[in-house]
Amino acid sequence: MTARAIWKGHLVLGKQEVPVKVYSAVEDQAVHFHLLHEKDLTPVEQRIVRKDNGREVAKEAQRKAFPLDDRRAVILEPSELEKLEPESDRAIHVLRFVPRAALGEQWFDRPYYLGPDDDDGAYFALAQALGDKGRLGIARWVMRDKRYLGALSAAGGYLRMTTLRRADQVLHVPAIRPDKARTPSEAEVKLAEQLVESITGAFAPEEWHNEYRERLHKLIEAKAKGTKLRLVAAKPKEASGDLAESLRASLAATTSSKGRKKVA
Amino acid sequence: MPDAKQPPSAPVRPFWSGTITFGLVSIPVDLVAAVGARQKSMKLVDEEGHPLGRRYWCPKHEKILDNDELVRGYETDSGKMVVVTDEEFASAAPEKSRDIDLKRFVPLDEIPPFFFERPYFLAPDERAGKAYTLLAQTMERTGKVGIGSFVMRGHEYLVAILAENGILRAEVLRHADELRTPESVGLPKPGKADGSLVRALGKEIDALAKPGLDAAEMADLEAETLRKFAQQKAKKGTGVISMDDLEDPDDDSGGSGEVIDLMEALRKSLGAVGTAGAARTSSAKPAATAEKAAKKAPARSAAAKTTAAKKAPAR
Repeated sequence: MTARAIWKGHLVLGKQEVPVKVYSAVEDQAVHFHLLHEKDLTPVEQRIVRKDNGREVAKEAQRKAFPLDDRRAVILEPSELEKLEPESDRAIHVLRFVPRAALGEQWFDRPYYLGPDDDDGAYFALAQALGDKGRLGIARWVMRDKRYLGALSAAGGYLRMTTLRRADQVLHVPAIRPDKARTPSEAEVKLAEQLVESITGAFAPEEWHNEYRERLHKLIEAKAKGTKLRLVAAKPKEASGDLAESLRASLAATTSSKGRKKVA
Repeated sequence: MPDAKQPPSAPVRPFWSGTITFGLVSIPVDLVAAVGARQKSMKLVDEEGHPLGRRYWCPKHEKILDNDELVRGYETDSGKMVVVTDEEFASAAPEKSRDIDLKRFVPLDEIPPFFFERPYFLAPDERAGKAYTLLAQTMERTGKVGIGSFVMRGHEYLVAILAENGILRAEVLRHADELRTPESVGLPKPGKADGSLVRALGKEIDALAKPGLDAAEMADLEAETLRKFAQQKAKKGTGVISMDDLEDPDDDSGGSGEVIDLMEALRKSLGAVGTAGAARTSSAKPAATAEKAAKKAPARSAAAKTTAAKKAPAR
């Protein structure tokens, strides 16, 4: 089974151009449900309505309003929005190459594979050159009237593009203040480090398959056959009391079960 | 990107309260969004500026439905509609609806970028005490991140818990079977690259090499264009409306604010059932058969559909 390219373009690095095809790297595996009216299980539809009177508003009469500040917004007509759309071309401009560590994982949005478009030679040469340098390219392009920002990388001899979030979405300071007054002791940190080391291993994503999805399918199968389900709810956990005590007990438990490698 | 189809009714406000467990240590936390909405997001109105919203409509009874009149149904291959209740969703993995058990720690740089889906901050619950700081300090000192999973609104999330500046963050990861490989995409095998071309491209990379990012390059250019135009239009006094009560059309939360808050129902059912039936569901897992079943999950187009979460929950 192969995937279909969603777009074609060419990477522009200085004077060099490399034609590429873009493929989604994500495959939807979610279990899909229909929303139904509880009364007789009629599948429901979505409607856009006026909030004040609930009346449906047809697509042609819907407008978008851009917020100027907390109090005012400006309605932008479809013709105006069309004029503001960026110029479309097929160029994916690589603006700069940065060390991998320059981008934290909060930036990463959706992953795509790039594949060669006719010129295999240029494609694989760039994949090799970028792989050797170990850097990320910051790229901008316009696809179907929308602007994109992405990180170009090479792995396993192939080029990848991960779309990025915008600066103001990511650089957002959390209003979270851990309680500074309650600092763990050095002994507790030492114990915790030992515990972390004792269960440290390689990242093996295939070990973490979606167990819940499987259970959900089982549950649906059983229900479809008319089996009566026994409902089970979770037991709330208490916060840890004596930290050092819990850590020591955890360490004892992990060292005694050494050799059991499987997770999940 | 255009192939990133949004389900018409993705889950709503990210809100999960639970416990991170690490060995026998447990840390009660709240999940809060770590990425904001795009600045370019606009509000939906009619031609006169009346605020609009998304509502569910029953075509048979010809009326708008409240959220408590909705249920979720799964259509089997034989066309049978099976309703799944909130309690049943929770019952499929009760322990995971409360806890993120960090079963394994890994070096952060071992996780390929493709896996990262969406970040959340973990705010310490007031009962968390110093265990929160302990986990944060330990991970920062060892350079390790904890891997675990939890269930919210009918979907299992794989997460990497990491620490930065004393604050814990949960990065939702894609499951391995959600990611394609070059082989499954059908890319040709890497051939031998022409050495002189590799060097020429290497030179272009060097010429563009910089030590870090440039903020201007990472900015939301669409938002800047829209703002400029909107400000000019406002100066002329046309199209200006008051902001009260407007909804965001680009918001992938489905709009109406609280579509189906499974978590809320879950919490209620937890309160009701209490600890009595809290049987431990063992980690024995149904393997191959369910794997196959998962593949079949159909994407039908007919009516409004909800997905047991495709992206991580909306912001």
